[in-house]
Amino acid sequence: MGSHSSRESPVRASHANPSDGSNLKMPKPAISTIPTVALISALCLLPSLRAQTAPPASVDDVKIDKWNSVPLRKSAYDGLKPAPAPRRDLAGAWYAAGDPPAGGGAAPGIQATGAHEYPAVLRGNNTPPGGEPDEHNIPRQLPYTPLGEATLKAHKPTGMSVRSVPAVLGNDPLDICDPPGFPRLELYEFRMVEFAQMPDHIIVLSQLSRTWRTIWTDGRELPKNPEPRWNGYSVGKWVDDYTFVVETIGVDERTWLDNAGRPHSSEMKVEERFHRIDHDNMELTLTIDDPKMYTQPWQPLIKFPLRLQPRGFDIREMFCVPSDTAQYNNEIGDPSVAPDQK
Amino acid sequence: MRNKLGAISLLVVGFLAASLPSLAHHGNASYDTEKTVTVKGTVTEYIWANPHVFVKVDAKDENGNTVHWVIETQNLVQQSTLGWTSSTFKPGDQVDIDVTPAKNGRPIGRFKGRIVINGQPFKP
Repeated sequence: MGSHSSRESPVRASHANPSDGSNLKMPKPAISTIPTVALISALCLLPSLRAQTAPPASVDDVKIDKWNSVPLRKSAYDGLKPAPAPRRDLAGAWYAAGDPPAGGGAAPGIQATGAHEYPAVLRGNNTPPGGEPDEHNIPRQLPYTPLGEATLKAHKPTGMSVRSVPAVLGNDPLDICDPPGFPRLELYEFRMVEFAQMPDHIIVLSQLSRTWRTIWTDGRELPKNPEPRWNGYSVGKWVDDYTFVVETIGVDERTWLDNAGRPHSSEMKVEERFHRIDHDNMELTLTIDDPKMYTQPWQPLIKFPLRLQPRGFDIREMFCVPSDTAQYNNEIGDPSVAPDQK
Repeated sequence: MRNKLGAISLLVVGFLAASLPSLAHHGNASYDTEKTVTVKGTVTEYIWANPHVFVKVDAKDENGNTVHWVIETQNLVQQSTLGWTSSTFKPGDQVDIDVTPAKNGRPIGRFKGRIVINGQPFKP
């Protein structure tokens, strides 16, 4: 695992892997057979030599595992000249998590301390110990209404944010395998997402929770007084050939926005703005507008990068499984916060 | 204070029947991040699952008694991006692992970096 050099087809270009010289290792022949073997060797070698010198033409030339594919690191795109973005097209498998920082820590899309642009961390401390009563000591405050702040405080996160509590004392809906809902699907464990484009709607498949959203593009209006749904109700339209804007309402109030327990009401409107820069790159800006909880709209993701993965990318499952979770709690979660044992 | 928290925790455990972690990235509340414990022993089980991947290791304490360690890391998808697989450990493997231990002194820990499996450093 981990190597994505292209070895599958000799005519395909390659990120050459110096240690993979299997084609080049020929047994020492008997003297009389040298001319024939040399000729055959030369014929055999030509394609593989070509493969190891030509740069990959596009991301689709980069080798990946065919099953449970591992997302490409940014360096796999070095030297690629992405083709222009296709018109009005988001289709494909996109990686949103990004690379972990060089100094260690989680990749940007994981958002373990809360929404990307508003991490609930203490100044100068990206791995807060938790236990803070509120978010007054974080660098970027959210514009909570009094109801917003009260609802925040009723949410007891168990992740890595400033208000985190031990798992046993928390009430994060994900901790009991409730659906993440939208937009938490994009504000926590935002890893792989795949777009399937139909004539009248786009389906967004999410690796987290193995769930999907339907974004209608047939011109229908959003519902009036919608019955709440975990992933809400979405309509989308192309505002230009490379920018797709989605409006979502009707999200069930039981969902949290992020891992820090940021709240929303049933009146929340969410805008996603997917802007395709070129064939391999796209940006997402996400805006939350919920006057009951926040005095003004705010943007948890601003031009957040997504990278297209090679054709044939097979997305690994990422379920919250109640029986596995019960075993984890039984063996680790509960005993790790039980009374001291000496 | 810690005992008080423990008592509260127990009450809540009794009340909720189960405490439940999210898919990944729990806080440091239960672990003593200042400490490192080296666990040397035999793998008895490897759980490749969410919310967290973990391995069970039987190790001897200073008195020669067998201690059943449980050592966790992050969720399955996260570990797969780091090169871990469903066969990284198997029962019977001899391991030598640096661990951040639980604050409460129980044999529960979190991987802290150094992992040696059957004499080979594990560098995925």
